[in-house]
Amino acid sequence: MTETLLFYGFGLLSILGALGLILFKHPMNGAMSFVITLISLACLYALLSAKLIFAIQLIVYAGAIMSLILFIIMFLNIGESDLPEERGRWFYLAGGIVAIGPIAILMQRAFKTLPPGETAIVGDGFGGVQEVGMVLFTDWLLPFEIVSILLLVALVGAVVLAGKREVSE
Amino acid sequence: MSLLDILLILLRIAFGAFVPLSFVAVLVWMERRGAGFFQDRAGPNRCHVMGFRAGGLIQNLADGVKLIFKEDVVPAHITHKFYFILAPMLVFVTALLCFAVIPFADVLVIGSKEYIMQAVPLDIGILWFLAIVGFGVYGIILAGWSSHNKYGVLGGLRAASQVISYEIPMGLALVSLLVVYGTVNMTEIAQYQGQLLFGFIPMWGVVVQPLGVIIFIIAAFAETNRTPFDLAEGESEIVAGFHVEYSSMKFALFFLGEYVAMFVSSALIVTLYFGSFQIPWFATETLLFYATEVAVAIMVGLPIGAYFFAGWIRKNNKSHYDRPNDPRRREATVYIGLLWLMVMLVEVVLLGYLVFAQNGIADRLLVMILQTGTFLIKTTMMCFVYVWVRWTLPRFRYDQLQKIGWEKLMPLALLNIFITSAVIVSFG
Repeated sequence: MTETLLFYGFGLLSILGALGLILFKHPMNGAMSFVITLISLACLYALLSAKLIFAIQLIVYAGAIMSLILFIIMFLNIGESDLPEERGRWFYLAGGIVAIGPIAILMQRAFKTLPPGETAIVGDGFGGVQEVGMVLFTDWLLPFEIVSILLLVALVGAVVLAGKREVSE
Repeated sequence: MSLLDILLILLRIAFGAFVPLSFVAVLVWMERRGAGFFQDRAGPNRCHVMGFRAGGLIQNLADGVKLIFKEDVVPAHITHKFYFILAPMLVFVTALLCFAVIPFADVLVIGSKEYIMQAVPLDIGILWFLAIVGFGVYGIILAGWSSHNKYGVLGGLRAASQVISYEIPMGLALVSLLVVYGTVNMTEIAQYQGQLLFGFIPMWGVVVQPLGVIIFIIAAFAETNRTPFDLAEGESEIVAGFHVEYSSMKFALFFLGEYVAMFVSSALIVTLYFGSFQIPWFATETLLFYATEVAVAIMVGLPIGAYFFAGWIRKNNKSHYDRPNDPRRREATVYIGLLWLMVMLVEVVLLGYLVFAQNGIADRLLVMILQTGTFLIKTTMMCFVYVWVRWTLPRFRYDQLQKIGWEKLMPLALLNIFITSAVIVSFG
């Protein structure tokens, strides 16, 4: 019961946040409402007992990426006056609705074909750190290692490039 | 849920919420008296209530009263009032939330049930800390940005970029630590440190990760925006940085947040590297086994310690010139009386334990209290290191700060990961 209520609560919050991202005019408001979406998504993951994804969603998306975006908004000091004037937005809106319409019908069809049945939340020990780690380091070892080396190279490369510019000055 | 369950949940949450808050008072006092000590002066010691100065602690009370009764100003030029008010709350709440996953005693076993001694018994431990620390940056960015002030924006930029860059060496230092411990669960990390290396060295993180602890502590100093990394405040250049426009309790929230963050990161350093709640050479099982002997040792040791402490109070708490009926001597007499009263109370409780309640829950409670005390003492000592560094080292220049983070600490942390992994793979 509590879980259902929480699910609806976080679901509503994430949709509201996404709407805010589109509808708010000021970039800071948009970014902050997107943060709400990301946090409520993380909570939805936690409700599905995927604890690791919950933590990673908070650390990577809500924590690191969004704080960088906020940082950039602050750094460039974008205000409403700096935004381009939107002409003919009603025209674009109508175009968007026309484009989305068929996709919505397709989605509705797809949902209807889903087999009816009870879905149960997988219990504890499904999305924990250890379980995901076991899968990552046995079934997906090679891709995991390649991706980590890629990230390491990117990190070292960024530091080297940043350091170089300082020397040449 | 039984009554005991509910009681323990309340107890743990109360510990997680109120201990950091009470420590703010201790830390502010420690900072001021510490500053006095390092600069060879007395520090604030004049404020008193009816002649009782409590070693300068009353000064905090005066400061609190001052901050509460100041006018709470929101400057007229601020357009985003919501963010302006949200920012100090974010800084404070995120600092407090980080403490929720730090264990303060070993798992308490009552009957067949196990109670994890964390405010929030989450098993993702350190990941929770990293997530919440990330949110702390929002508070700083929003404060700097919504202040709509050159100094505010500059301070916010500095603080945010510093926190973001030092998260990387911190995370990398944590990686090599997690390789050693093999878990992210804080209680398991603490239990791991109860083992002995070669049979006689406590297997603390500082012993198995000597390089990691240096990197982590430096990064933790930077994360809390404290000297030598407090360019975000930089009184001499940018006045006070991101909290220049704040007054009254909104400023106080930043202030409290800073000290809570300092307490929490000390607690984290202690948990990860200095054996958490473990008393060296006395693991939980050993303590439980020798509970009676430990209780007797405390009963004997406490009065001896109290005797010397009372002597120290008597020696120092006196006026430095002749006064009729020296009020400070009277003050000292009251303190010493209180001290002996507390000692008596502890002795009575321990005696009651020895006579009536040996072997059972009482043993475990005794061990829990001892471990909590150990944890708090260690954390206080780590906080003193923060004060010590603050009043000893000057501030870095901004480019030096970024250079240390990216070009020194990060390669060292990567090297540390390689060495640790090689050792673990070849010997583990």
